[in-house]
Amino acid sequence: MGSAGSYGVGTGNSGAYVTEISEPARFEEEIRSLIQARFDAPPVSGGSFTALLGLSANQAVGLLHEPGAGEISAPAASSSPTGLGHPLGCSPTFPSNAALAERAASFPVFAAADSPASSSDGGPSPPLKAEPPDPDSSPPLPVPIDKPRRPAKRKDCEKQKAKGPGKKIKTAEEHTEGDQLPYVHVRARRGQATDSHSLAERARREKINARMKLLQELVPGCSKITGTALVLDEIINHVQSLQRQVEFLSMRLAAVNPRIDFGGLDSFLMAERGPLAASNGRGEAALDPVSWSSDPAPGTGLRTDLRPSQQSSTAWVYPYALIDHGTSLFGYGAANSVPLNSNQSKTDL
Amino acid sequence: MKRGPKARPGTKWRTAAQERVYGRRLLEALRATAALGPRAVKEAADSALAFTARGRSRWSRAILLSPRRKARLLLRTGSKIRRGRRRARAAEAGGRLRGRLRVLRRLVPGCRKLSAGSLLEEAADYVAALEMQVKAMRALADALSAAPAAAAAAEPGSRGGV
Repeated sequence: MGSAGSYGVGTGNSGAYVTEISEPARFEEEIRSLIQARFDAPPVSGGSFTALLGLSANQAVGLLHEPGAGEISAPAASSSPTGLGHPLGCSPTFPSNAALAERAASFPVFAAADSPASSSDGGPSPPLKAEPPDPDSSPPLPVPIDKPRRPAKRKDCEKQKAKGPGKKIKTAEEHTEGDQLPYVHVRARRGQATDSHSLAERARREKINARMKLLQELVPGCSKITGTALVLDEIINHVQSLQRQVEFLSMRLAAVNPRIDFGGLDSFLMAERGPLAASNGRGEAALDPVSWSSDPAPGTGLRTDLRPSQQSSTAWVYPYALIDHGTSLFGYGAANSVPLNSNQSKTDL
Repeated sequence: MKRGPKARPGTKWRTAAQERVYGRRLLEALRATAALGPRAVKEAADSALAFTARGRSRWSRAILLSPRRKARLLLRTGSKIRRGRRRARAAEAGGRLRGRLRVLRRLVPGCRKLSAGSLLEEAADYVAALEMQVKAMRALADALSAAPAAAAAAEPGSRGGV
């Protein structure tokens, strides 16, 4: 079957696509299985495909075979049938692309979507995201019905477009990220079914990929890596190395800690200060030098060096509060060490 | 919980203000746990970090709410780091994404049962926070281990300027 051949190309394209996404095996299987499932329907009854387009079965099959030569370049602009031929298995309402939507609207098919839709629609139409009657209302696409989900789909679409060479290219190009039309319609890639499951799955994948991108930017050296798995590896290594560094640094700090005369700070810390917030404290700075200058204690150098922390000394009050909460914030024995320190400070002074 | 526009973790954790906030909390924590050993220091540092996160992220809540249990988890993470590496490689065979996601789940506190998407989100925040933590702790350790006099001059500068 000619269309099968073209879709074989489609699957081949999916291989290229896959290098971006990097789950080749799974995706290809999924795609293949979906293609199989889908191809059972169209030649016979027009099935879901025609339901989507709201075309009659014949028209649909005709369109199927028309662009079927594999290369679907310069789609919608060239001729309307070709334009329609793209979204093989797409929702009839084009995704947030006003120009295309206008073109689509010009098709009698959509204008009178009711009758052909009703004639060719079968069971498949309900699970579809957008129904044939919708495009009626819309070159300016209609209400943001479920807006939260749509943006995900839009990203979804964009990604698909980017990845699908020779698939609805025109719509892809026009479907820029600048588009902010509220109602987004999912456009399935050629070679992928559009039942709700795969759509949802694709949405999920897109969400995951978006997060991965964020992580990639965060972790140094990940932007060059292609492949979700490898990026994840890098991320894991990075997290582990960071945690290790924290451990080593905490060892260093623990070694340094006893030398710090933390206890000596208590006399200042106990003083009634302003609000507890740790981010406060510029006001406190005025108080601190005064109290320090009067303090003849040996660790002056250290105290001065901890001065900025004095601004958090107001928060010294708050460790007590936290300690009451069960030492949850400051770990073990905070309650024990605090009174100890204050005792020491008294002896020091 | 008042939630403004969600800042990206990369930008949210890297502000100087955030570092100052954490630095102060870290100092308090250190004071509280003086001479209790490196583990206490680490716990304190992590708790301070989680507190600075204001409990907005799952990992921070996990650290704050059950420090003992999670502390042990963190400790184990420390020791498991070498083992974790091997497990990560083994997981590669186990399934590219699944295995690694499992490892990541173990690494990020409190994310054991999260979905992949949320896990990645938490991981991003956690990585950013960790980087800040390392930076702050390193600065503090450098400042404090230098001679006190030198530290006196250096510290205000470093803490304020960081």
